[in-house]
Amino acid sequence: MILAALTALAINPRDMSFSPIDFDAPEPERWVTDNGMTIFFLEDHQLPVVTATMLIRGGQVYDPAGKSGLAEITAALLRSGGAGDRTPDQVDAALDFVGANISSNASKDALTVDMSTLKKDLDTVFGIFTDMLIRPMFDSAKTALEISNRKDRILRQNDDPESITRRVYYETVYQGHPYGLYPTLASIGNISRNDIFAFHRKFYSPGNCILAVSGDMTIDELNSLVGKYFSGWKQSGEKIEPVANAEMKYRPGVYYACKDINQAHIRFGHLGMDMKNPDRFAMEIMNYCLGSGGFMSRLTKQVRTSSGLAYSVGSYNYLRPLGGTYFSYCLTRADAMAQATTMMMDIIREVKKNGITAEEMEIARDAVINSSIFEYDTPSKIVTAKARLEYLGFPPDQMEKNIESYKAVTLEECNRAAQKYLDIDNIAIIITGNKELFDKPLETFGPVTEVSMEIK
Amino acid sequence: MLLLPAVLFAGEDLQFPVEEFTLDNGMTFLVVERHTAPVFSGYICVGAGSACERIGDIGTAHLLEHMMFKGSQEVGTTDYEAEKELMIKEDSVWAKIDEAMQRTRYIRLNEPDKLEGHLQYIADLEAILDSLSAAGSKYVVQNEFDQIYSRNGAAQFNATTGYDFTYYYVSLPANRLELWFNMEAGRLLKPAFREFFTERDVVSEERRQSVENSPDAKLFEQLIGTAFIAHPYQIFWEWQSEENNLTRDDLQRFFDSYYIPQNISVAIVGDVTLDEVKEMAEKYFGRMPRGNEPEPIYTVEPVQPGERRVTLEFDANPAVSIAYHKTSFDDPEEPVFSIIERLLGEGRTSRLYKSLVLDQQLCLDVSAYTFPGNNLGDLHNNVFCIDAYPKEGVSIDRVEKAVYKELGRLSSEPVKENELTKIKNNIDADFIWGAYSNMGLARNLARAHRLAHNWRFLSTARDKLLAVTPDDIMTVAGKYFTKENRTVAILVPKEKGGEQ
Repeated sequence: MILAALTALAINPRDMSFSPIDFDAPEPERWVTDNGMTIFFLEDHQLPVVTATMLIRGGQVYDPAGKSGLAEITAALLRSGGAGDRTPDQVDAALDFVGANISSNASKDALTVDMSTLKKDLDTVFGIFTDMLIRPMFDSAKTALEISNRKDRILRQNDDPESITRRVYYETVYQGHPYGLYPTLASIGNISRNDIFAFHRKFYSPGNCILAVSGDMTIDELNSLVGKYFSGWKQSGEKIEPVANAEMKYRPGVYYACKDINQAHIRFGHLGMDMKNPDRFAMEIMNYCLGSGGFMSRLTKQVRTSSGLAYSVGSYNYLRPLGGTYFSYCLTRADAMAQATTMMMDIIREVKKNGITAEEMEIARDAVINSSIFEYDTPSKIVTAKARLEYLGFPPDQMEKNIESYKAVTLEECNRAAQKYLDIDNIAIIITGNKELFDKPLETFGPVTEVSMEIK
Repeated sequence: MLLLPAVLFAGEDLQFPVEEFTLDNGMTFLVVERHTAPVFSGYICVGAGSACERIGDIGTAHLLEHMMFKGSQEVGTTDYEAEKELMIKEDSVWAKIDEAMQRTRYIRLNEPDKLEGHLQYIADLEAILDSLSAAGSKYVVQNEFDQIYSRNGAAQFNATTGYDFTYYYVSLPANRLELWFNMEAGRLLKPAFREFFTERDVVSEERRQSVENSPDAKLFEQLIGTAFIAHPYQIFWEWQSEENNLTRDDLQRFFDSYYIPQNISVAIVGDVTLDEVKEMAEKYFGRMPRGNEPEPIYTVEPVQPGERRVTLEFDANPAVSIAYHKTSFDDPEEPVFSIIERLLGEGRTSRLYKSLVLDQQLCLDVSAYTFPGNNLGDLHNNVFCIDAYPKEGVSIDRVEKAVYKELGRLSSEPVKENELTKIKNNIDADFIWGAYSNMGLARNLARAHRLAHNWRFLSTARDKLLAVTPDDIMTVAGKYFTKENRTVAILVPKEKGGEQ
């Protein structure tokens, strides 16, 4: 570590310059077991701990028709329903006793099980981890409780305005697609214990799995554990049918969710680009300047800093395996709903028409490239990132490729992306609030549909 | 500068030498060198938070925290002198607006024919204020502070206003260490409270989204406001009415009183060397003048003489929050409370979760925690809280009874050894995980130092926890989990119509 030569007089921080970051991140080991499970591993002896993430092909998009919620319930019961020779209470007791954590989740596109433990308890905890994956019990009483609690949560789904806005947005923009489906009392009611076993059998299979491990152990220790606990695991052999990409099925316009609050929660957008679209780098840089770059972005500068209309405001280019979405959002006081919405749309139209400036672009590029080190500054982050890349079908050196792509982005490409991908005239505008308090009628922004708040 | 020898931050196999030094002006730095990757985290803990505010100026600490992102007299401006002149003019126009607004009610009462002209006078002043802001904005390099950090690769860049303390933190590539010192010294020595009037509005929106329209937060605000009748901890989040009328002078007074070097603890963890940190600390912060010791908070919350109950009507499903008064961080009974908190609320085998969620199936979820709850404890007597969300069809009354039954067990049945061992294992594990990330370790060190004036409190607090006995738990539970010591806040659906 070279001691930086300190400047004799303190200069303005804006004039300080630094050499680019040079970091050779360690490369993980990667191998595939006989039964088809991929493993990424890096040693990390800094602390006597071990962490692991298992990514499993599956997710909520594979919920059968009329049974929305099956993936989430199956994932939750992996953790809470008992595993191997241990009853649910025994699993909880074993993990809590040593302060270890295992969590099991189902997102739209993936199933994950995460594990963290002190090194000294690794054998026990890894054993429970594999029992959950291979031989979950789905205890009847716990299954009934999980289903009952899911229903109770659905009954609470309109308590918080932001969760209403988010849900209505995805339901609208992804109409007719699994990305737009949310569990209902009816769909949860259709789920049986057999369905849960079937879902588990189909998806939780070694050939569908990528395991990312790092911690205070050697590769020999890991191999030994994997052999001990995973080698008997057989492939399910069930084919996973691909799910179609999302298509636009919504009518552009306003979708109003009535809730008597003193703010308007606004979220508007449209379907977005493919996850592997080569224009995504230019789009990301452009959007950093428009709305995702926090205080650097035009949306935040104008709507928050200059106008004081919002604390939360921005835009996001959300890339997803089955079709992305581009949206902008703002939480503002009710009597500024129209003022804030108009301001945001004007800013977006301005960028679509005239693009961003070279100066803005360079700041965004520096920010994105220089902060990227925080995606791989620990062994745990590295193995998890590599596992995710493989899960999503990217090559192993995609992170390095991303940096090269960001470096190569030109102003012209950014502005072309703005013209092409900001589809401001075909948006669904979700507004949650009390329209009696708004400064202008909802019709200002297009034909209005009032969304039913009835819970089914 | 006062140098202390490196001390191991140790437990089991965990060893990180923590270096400590204090500048002549009293500012303390804690440094842990970790060279795995060329990054570091910097964590500044200022010994003042919202509990230091006075009635009438509620919101000062939070608004000041926002102002600290506006840059300094160097960063965020092209001409500070020109800006300063305009800011002084803005403040005097605001003073006129303020004074005129106070007169409005008397004009309405006594000279109603003059009211329209008076309101126009206020509107004209507001227009002048707007034009002064517009003029000032010509000199502003908007959000430049964030921009400089962001383009240099900052991550986790944010701040938090607490009740006892306020925290400023960021992670950066390691070769930006001097940038960090330059930037932080700039805003701590020569801040600039620019874009003041719009930022008051931003803070109002934050309150709306975080409290007024959030059922959980709004319930909690009622709970805390009812449990405390004297101590500043009673204010969960600033009141709109006071925050809207804060002035730059209010913030400057608070800043001058509390943002002084003796009152600031800094932790830097990552790919840095002690020598370079010492050199830069002296260069950038050595010149920060010592301040007068700020006035302490003398208020002691009086012992609660009977149960307090409060209801929130809101368009949401039922919930109940319960608070019991408890001890401050260095009280001998505090470690026992920490154990009780874990017994009741940590993990699926915790008393409350197991009983109310799993076995009796009364609640969707239940949690137990301390408020304000700075991980190692709070400066003043605070509260232990339990939140519970009933399942459909389960009454709040049933949930309350079930909670009190569990609390009662703690004072009548000694905790079994196995359960206590579980808790102690978790304490040991948390100690190790607390050092997992640079930011996490920096945070724990800085907060421990500010709280106890000794970062080793991280270890000594833990040692005290490990010494708690089953008898201690019964005694403390019996003493504090009483009806008269509890406050209960209940969320019920909105009633329609008037009194029945």
